[in-house]
Amino acid sequence: MTGSGRVGLGGLVAVILVAATAGLSRVPWTAELGDHAVLRLAWRFRSELVEACRPIPPEEQARQPVHMRRTEECSRGLRPYRLVVMVDGAALLEDSVAAGGARADRPLSLFREIRLPAGTHRVGVRFEPYGAGAPLALDTVLALAPRQVAVVTLAEGGRWVIRGGRIPYH
Amino acid sequence: MNRLYGWRGNPLYHTGVLAAALFAVVLVTGVYLLFFYRIGAPWESVARISRDVWLGSWTRSLHRYASDACVVAVLLHAFRMLVQRRTWGPRVLAWISGVVLLGLVLICGWTGYVMVWDIQGQVIAREGARWLDALPVFSEPISRAFDGSRALPGAFFFLNLFAHVALPVGLGAVLWVHVARVARPVLLPPRALSLTVLAALGAASVLLPAAQGSRADPFATAGRAPYDVFFSFFLPITQPLPAGLVWALIGGVGGALVLVPWLMRPRAARRPPASVVDERLCTGCEQCWKDCPYEAIQMVERTDGRWGLVARVDPDVCTSCGVCAGSCAPMGVGPAGRTGRDQLTAARAFAAERLAEPGAIVVIGCDRSAGRGAPGALAFPVTCAGNLHSSTVEYLLRAGAAGVLVVSCPPRDCWSREGVKWLEERLFHGREAELHDRVDRRRVRVVYAAEAEANLVVAALAEFRRDLSRVSAEGREPDPDVARDCETAGASGGAAT
Repeated sequence: MTGSGRVGLGGLVAVILVAATAGLSRVPWTAELGDHAVLRLAWRFRSELVEACRPIPPEEQARQPVHMRRTEECSRGLRPYRLVVMVDGAALLEDSVAAGGARADRPLSLFREIRLPAGTHRVGVRFEPYGAGAPLALDTVLALAPRQVAVVTLAEGGRWVIRGGRIPYH
Repeated sequence: MNRLYGWRGNPLYHTGVLAAALFAVVLVTGVYLLFFYRIGAPWESVARISRDVWLGSWTRSLHRYASDACVVAVLLHAFRMLVQRRTWGPRVLAWISGVVLLGLVLICGWTGYVMVWDIQGQVIAREGARWLDALPVFSEPISRAFDGSRALPGAFFFLNLFAHVALPVGLGAVLWVHVARVARPVLLPPRALSLTVLAALGAASVLLPAAQGSRADPFATAGRAPYDVFFSFFLPITQPLPAGLVWALIGGVGGALVLVPWLMRPRAARRPPASVVDERLCTGCEQCWKDCPYEAIQMVERTDGRWGLVARVDPDVCTSCGVCAGSCAPMGVGPAGRTGRDQLTAARAFAAERLAEPGAIVVIGCDRSAGRGAPGALAFPVTCAGNLHSSTVEYLLRAGAAGVLVVSCPPRDCWSREGVKWLEERLFHGREAELHDRVDRRRVRVVYAAEAEANLVVAALAEFRRDLSRVSAEGREPDPDVARDCETAGASGGAAT
């Protein structure tokens, strides 16, 4: 190969390499395929503190060192909740939501996403405490465009807030 | 690549230093961009940089393309070390720190894309949050930060910016560890190559400015958008997987990379031996200590009753490159079987067997060069040209060789370091353990030819033969005193230091 040929070919290879780098830096891609919509449930909720105590029998107390003897043992934490999501009459999600933190003393945090076909859907959300207490419930109709995300959150005072989904009536 | 760019400009020989140089470009351009970035309006500020800031679009494009090229250079560098099996033994630290560097470069890139806060940035951030949420560390899901129920807090972008700026500092520290075990580390490529790469990336930044996707939208699924393959390559792989499996995958790939040095380590019997010092011959001249490319040799006080210092090799750090064998005038150091004395023994046998006919050219070819089977010449193979002792060259010439052509792998392709550089200095520039003045330098030549460049050896041999024919016949006859002179010359050379 002659000197000028080598320079030309070397330059061409360099151009191809740089163009390839620039091209691979902008490859079109769709992270979420399909025209479905998404119902996103996301909230932070501080449930009531529950405490469960049991008396410690004398023989069990006797096994402990004197300075560690107690008459009852209590465990406390925030009450867990049960989540049920109904869409067009069908239960699409049933789940338990436990309090965060190693001692279950952090608020309940929820982040769930449900794929739905675009269109109008009747959505029911029921968030009810295990044990006792009144459930928090939402029953609404959402009109979701293709690729739209509707965000359902639970604001202070147990008020439902919906963002991103058009509510045709209600 | 050598045919196109020559060995000095072959980017494949300079992948490590290219990565460092590209990272420097990323740092400089990043500092400029930082002046105009606003954590309160990330996407808008990046759009403004591209649109309104002087050289903003060009700087941002160069920042991105240099980052991309840096990833390519790091991967090629790692692949080259892997293929050349330069990962085990004393190189474990460099390999593992290299794996850490690759991880840091990728994390730097991810935080950079989150800063842009376009669709790609949002997808990367949400995917990262999904992985982190699988760890039993956070009491609340990080994914909630991107749920759209409230505006993304400025603290998130501040933390991301902090990570993007702080990580390069950590990267610099790991780079220091990466080269800690090599003497005289080289951190920049040859100037011509640096300028060419910079000019090419700069031109690409003008002709193909970096794209910015649509603004991240929490109320829409991530549609079609431009993605940077060099940093977002993992998304199609990990998105369909549960986060726990992603962590298993990361642990598996990371663990396999970290274990490479042990997986690729040859069996004990096949490992090249570390250099050893014959303390009776060591004069304490310190030349092997100066030449060792891995700082594996220390000079310590003698314990044999003689005055002065003696060289001592740390076998845990020695890579058995054998450079010390060529640097020791009295031939008192080197890996077993490759010391100067071993070379002379081999040269003596070679001369007796094959140098019967005066006027022949001897080609000394290293294992990784094209010089081991040069047509029309007598081949004297050596493991590494950097090990070659000048007395071996002198011996072959005085034993009747018309000339000695040393064929070495290109210096930047050497499996060791600096050997060829020191060899040239010893043969032609008087570096210690030098070729004696009595040797006609016109009869000695060094040429670089990688294994696939036999044509270079043929051409160099033909040219050398032509040049030798012009040289006077003086010294062509076999020298009866050659053995005595070469050996005593080596010893006296050491004593002279």
